[in-house]
Order: sequence, then structure tokens, then C-alpha cells
Amino acid sequence: MYLYLPVALTSINIIIPIGLGLVVGLLSGLFGVGGGFLMTPLLIMLGIPATVAAATDSNQIVAASTSGTYAHWKVGNVDFKMGFHLLIGGFIGGLFGVQGIKILRAMGNADFVIKMTYVLMLGIVGAYMFIESIQSMKKARKGDDVPLTESPSRESAIARLLKSLPLQTHYEKSGVTHSALIPIIFGGFVGVLAAIMGVGGGFLMVPVMVYILRMPMHVVVGTSLFQILFNCIEVTFLQAYTNHTVDFTLAVLLLLGSTIGAQIGTVFGRKLKGEQLKILLAVIVLVVTVKIIFELTMTPSLLLSQAGGH
Amino acid sequence: MKKFKIQDSRFKIAGFLSLCCTAALLLFCSSSSAELTINTNHDHISIDFSYHGSEVAVSGVSAAGADLIIKIASPEGRQSLRKKGKAAGFLWMNVGELKFENTPALYFMRSTKKLEGLLDEEEMGRYLLGYSALERHAEIAPVSNPEEKARWFDEFVRFKESSRLYSISHGDISVAEKDGKQNYHISLSWPYQAVPGDYTVTVYAVKDKRVIETAMTQVRVEQVGGIKFLADMAKNKGALYGIISIIVALAAGFGVGMIFRKGGAH
Repeated sequence: MYLYLPVALTSINIIIPIGLGLVVGLLSGLFGVGGGFLMTPLLIMLGIPATVAAATDSNQIVAASTSGTYAHWKVGNVDFKMGFHLLIGGFIGGLFGVQGIKILRAMGNADFVIKMTYVLMLGIVGAYMFIESIQSMKKARKGDDVPLTESPSRESAIARLLKSLPLQTHYEKSGVTHSALIPIIFGGFVGVLAAIMGVGGGFLMVPVMVYILRMPMHVVVGTSLFQILFNCIEVTFLQAYTNHTVDFTLAVLLLLGSTIGAQIGTVFGRKLKGEQLKILLAVIVLVVTVKIIFELTMTPSLLLSQAGGH
Repeated sequence: MKKFKIQDSRFKIAGFLSLCCTAALLLFCSSSSAELTINTNHDHISIDFSYHGSEVAVSGVSAAGADLIIKIASPEGRQSLRKKGKAAGFLWMNVGELKFENTPALYFMRSTKKLEGLLDEEEMGRYLLGYSALERHAEIAPVSNPEEKARWFDEFVRFKESSRLYSISHGDISVAEKDGKQNYHISLSWPYQAVPGDYTVTVYAVKDKRVIETAMTQVRVEQVGGIKFLADMAKNKGALYGIISIIVALAAGFGVGMIFRKGGAH
């Protein structure tokens, strides 16, 4: 059964966006990512204009992350205080990131810088999480120390520096004590990068919470979803208000799948260990990295594409 | 004095009108031997939620033995497209925008025989028939030389053909002789990718490498009902539209969460 989309100006088989929503919602519930890095390119492949794909996806993430946050909150896996501090940072970072894009565009070849930043961040984050979780799984199995090259000493040096900052706050849900500045600064850092790359940044926020804020993986997922929810509300409004690119019909089809997917993901996530979740997310991020590298190096079949806005 | 003047101008108008009538009559007589007509199965295509493209059947009567060309096109305009190129020598990415001026968003052409055998280049250019005529008529910026323009126009056609908005073919117009004239008919599948607007359908009768007659009609593609409501609201009431989209998403998220909670509790 086909449905016509009033903003994307195209017709789509409704099974496809519902199925797509289900898969990406599952990832949200499992890993605490918005899944824009998967959803947006897939929607473009289905013939949705790029600007509509990105804006509509953020509308859909509002639903998926509400569903996911709710599910995680019920089992006590959302650290609202931490989420709120990350949000403050993310908001400020987003403002800087938008200015950063303007500067990049004025300097020319902005697309090159953006794409390279994206590939490098995906590659580094994916590889680091992959290696780290494999090593800690080995460690847990053998019960002895596995040399972690230089990373533990560097980590502890950072940890010592973080301890010396003012505004030390205890985050009960996460069971960690940090200066409130830490989530604000790192939330800001992710906000800058996410705005420049034009993505939600869940794949950056999750490792920041795991490795820098040292939060337990299950609380990371719930808190990340809470944080994503607010970011996507803001983005959806701005896209609808300034660019008129949110396709409500498409968003409804996607959220039919993604809200249910997020619930299923949460249930699955509870059955998996933190290390298993990390390694799965690392593999997905690495697969996406490889796919983008392929796209960058293979000659495209069409050299022209729809420009943004209308 | 005044009255006289008015009378005078009245006479002038009457004279002019009768001249027009005579001219029209003469024209009508001279072309009545080969009257070309065009009809479409519908002049309105309505886009509702179940719209998945349509079918446009074009038919009419032409002089016996004439070759026919049928063209469907949207009004000419400017289209901006992103172009891909190699950055840093080996990475394919968007490297800027190209503007295609004087190009239709949709262009279909069907002919009884291959276009190149029917008309010479000058005649194709006059009526904008065929891709090479479109290319000569189009302006592409920024390009530095004619070869580059030709290369990007080819890419433009490939892009348009991939979204089913441009197509050219021949041999699919059915023609039947009847009473010293011929009836023609063709049925075209109308792509759902074609945006709302007015499209002109033109038929050209061709003899001895020249267009001897043309006739045209219009097809209007319009959004109706819920589609029109949502599209208008997205465009004109962006803030309200955004807020409603967010509320629906929040409600859906909570709703599904509640359903699962109930399901999980028992």
C-alpha cells in the first residue's frame, strides 16, 4: 500500500518506513543513539529529498526517544541531573557549532571538512570502543590483567585532572561524582561537533558518558535518550519553522515502527551485558564508517542531486 | 463634436472586427484540409494520500500520412542541483551547485519515428524538440566551456531520467487511418515524482522535415484534501506545524510506552 507524502512530494510503500522505524527504534532502545546516521541516508536512498529526510528523522526521533526514555525511566536507568547538565552544554555547543559552519562555508570547501570530521569521528569512536570492549571482555573472562597499552595511564591522568575541578557534584543514578563543569564541557564539545556534522551526535555522547563520565552502560543508554529527546524537539521545531522540511506523514509512518522498536530494544538491552552492548554499537559504527568510505571512493552513478531548500 | 468622435471610433471598431473575422475565416479555410486536434483523458490530476502516479492518454486526429511528435513539458525555469566531484583528488563529494536555467522540470517526448529522421536541427530548436535542442536552449552556470556544458547537461538528463521526469522515445504512438485522416493515440504513465503545477501537452504534425501544424492542451496537477492541507500548513504556518508534529511524536512515544508497560506488567 502506497502513501503520498505532502512535503517530500513523493509516494512511498508504507511497509518500508514502518520497518525502517522498527529497526532504528530498536537501536535507540538498545544503545541510546538516535540512529540518524542510519535513517537519513536510507531515506535519501528511497527518494526523499536530503533536507526533508534529516528534518523528518529528527521528528521521528522525538517519538522513539520518548518511548525509549520512558521505558528506561521505569527501570531507573535515566540520570536526569546528568542529562540536564549535558543538555546545557549541548545547547551552548550547538550555538557555537552553527557559527562554526558559517565560518567554514565562508572559507570554502566546508563539505570536505564536514565529511572528513564525520568519517574520522566515526572511525575513531568505533575503533576505540571495539578494542576497549574486547579487551575488557577478555579481562573479565581470564580474571587477570591484560596490558591496555597507554590508554589506562592516559585515562587516569585525565581522571585526576577532572577531580581537581570545582562544583563537584554527586550523580546518584550513575553512582559517580564529577564537577558539574565536566558534563557541561563535554556536552558542549559533542554539541559543536554534532551541529557541524549535522547529526544528533548520540554516537559521540554515548562514548563520552562511558569513558569520560564513567557511567554504567545501562544508565548511559537511558540518559542519552533523555538528552536526545530534547535536542530533537528543538531541531524539529527549527526545521519546521525555518526550512519547512518536516514531512508529518512520513514522520508518523516512521514513529509507528520506532516507538515499538525502542521498547523492544530496551527489553533486549536489559538481557545483555554492558560490554556486549558496547561492542555491538562499536561494530555498527564501524560498518557505517566503512560504508561512507566506500561512498567517498567509488564513482557515483549520478553526479547531480537535489539541492537543499525550496 | 464629441458625439461624432465616438461614432467615428465605433465605426473603426466595427471595421476592425469584421477584418478580423474575415482573416480568421480565411485562416480556417486554408488549414481545414489538415486539422490537428489533441485531447487528454483528463485535464486534472489530483494528488491525495493514495496517489501513486497516474496515466495520461493523449489522442486526436491529424492529416493522413503525417508523422507526429507529442511533447509534455512543465514551464521553463531555473533548477539548482548539487554537483559531485573529486575532492583532494580521490574522494567523491558535493563540490558546489550548478544552476540550470531555461529548463523544464518535466520533459516527455514521443514520436512516430526517430526524431533525427523527422526534423532538421533548426526545426528541432524552434520547437524545443529533443535533448540537443534543450541543451542549446539551456544555460548552465558555472561552466567554463561548451564541452563542460555538454557534459553537465548529459548528467542533468541522466539525473532527470532516473527520477522519471525526462524521457524520450519513438514508435509508441499508435496511428489508424480513417476517412482520409488519421487517429492517433498514446498512453503515458505519469510519474508521482512530478510536482504540482501546469503541464503543457503539444502535438506536432510533421511532413517533409517541417512542422506543418501544432495543437496543444494542458494538464493541471493539484494537491487536494489532506495532502493540500498539510502541504499548505507546512509552508505557511511553520511554527504551528512544528509544534503539532512534536506533540504528536511525544504522545505517540508515551502512548506506546504505556501500552508496553501494561503488557509487561501482566
